Amino acid sequence: MPDTAKRKAARRRIEEKRAAEAAARARAQRRQRSIVGGVVAVVLVALAVVVTVVVQHSRTATDPTAAAPANTVDHGQVVLVGSSTAPVTVDLYEDLQCPICRQFETSTGPTLASLVAAGTVQLHYHGMAFLDTSANDRYSTRALNAAAVVLDTAGPDAFQKFHDLLYANQPDENGSGLTDDQLIAYAQQAGASGAAVEQDIRDLTYGDWVKEITDQASKDGVTATPTVLVAGKQLDNAKLTPEGITAAVQAAHG
Amino acid sequence: MRWDRVAPWLATAARLLLGGVFLVAGALKFPDPAAAVRAVRAYRLLPEALVAPVAFGLPVVEIAVGLALIAGVFVRTAALASALLLVVYLVGVGSAWARGLQIDCGCFGGGGRVAAADTAYPTEVLRDGALLLVALALARWPRSRLALGGRPLPEEELVRA
Repeated sequence: MPDTAKRKAARRRIEEKRAAEAAARARAQRRQRSIVGGVVAVVLVALAVVVTVVVQHSRTATDPTAAAPANTVDHGQVVLVGSSTAPVTVDLYEDLQCPICRQFETSTGPTLASLVAAGTVQLHYHGMAFLDTSANDRYSTRALNAAAVVLDTAGPDAFQKFHDLLYANQPDENGSGLTDDQLIAYAQQAGASGAAVEQDIRDLTYGDWVKEITDQASKDGVTATPTVLVAGKQLDNAKLTPEGITAAVQAAHG
Repeated sequence: MRWDRVAPWLATAARLLLGGVFLVAGALKFPDPAAAVRAVRAYRLLPEALVAPVAFGLPVVEIAVGLALIAGVFVRTAALASALLLVVYLVGVGSAWARGLQIDCGCFGGGGRVAAADTAYPTEVLRDGALLLVALALARWPRSRLALGGRPLPEEELVRA
């Protein structure tokens, strides 16, 4: 009897030991599996990061030899309207699809135009195109490209006219944008027509230029449109009115 | 006893919420890489050389964290990683707020799009803060239901044995 009891106890001890060993083995295996899995996951994520950075770089890259339209200043990035000797410079950052820019142009555009006509102000237009959607078929980009085509063909005054036409006829921000045919018709109205104009509008000839000046605006620290600087100083939004602009220009004119 | 049954399901809910947010936030930054660059640059915190790599690389990390959380693998690591990311975002948004920058956070794609009066810093900080609490709780109690990885829960162990 004590003999069998002893044997039973011994067997139980052995079984317990084996079970503990098996559990330890399972734990070690699990740990090893998760270490291997973890290393694999980290390597995969790192690889995905590298591949994505490369792919997105190539998607945002622009051709360094990309054409800039004629009649621009500041390395082809700025459209100067008015006399380059006018005493007060007003910088405007606008997107042709931006509704607040439209409001600003409607309320304050005529004031700026008369300040330019009086020879007090030179306007520096910095185009931006960041309101492209699939619904509007990249309207921001197409519109700014068309403006560049008008500028290149017919000069800054035609650009100003085209710019005013596009704001007056701005499509809804969530709508389908103007078609290329409509852009061509407005270009003609502004004074730029012909087969070359049509083709440059349809082919986005200045597409890379649009990308570059949009990127430049962001590098200039502009994060919202419209952004307006009078003599290099940014105006508060509350001052984006005829009175606000006139006061700032007078102050700068001294 | 009841708490033991509820807690793993809460952890599952936390995983899906946090993972879903990170997955969506990451995915929305892919279609327009130029906007992602502008969004990162708008914070004016990084030198220009780092702007593009961060703008392109960060969404990948967000998606990886999101997928891990949703699948339930490396839950504690993924929860800690998301907590770290959220702290970084909070610092970024907080500093933009403090410096009076007029930007949107670019959290879910876009960038620079904000109409000047449309900043939403309080909402952004509250949202990131709430998500940070969820992430920290998940890192503390990572065991959950419907997870592909991790140690099995006690009852599951019994069932499997």
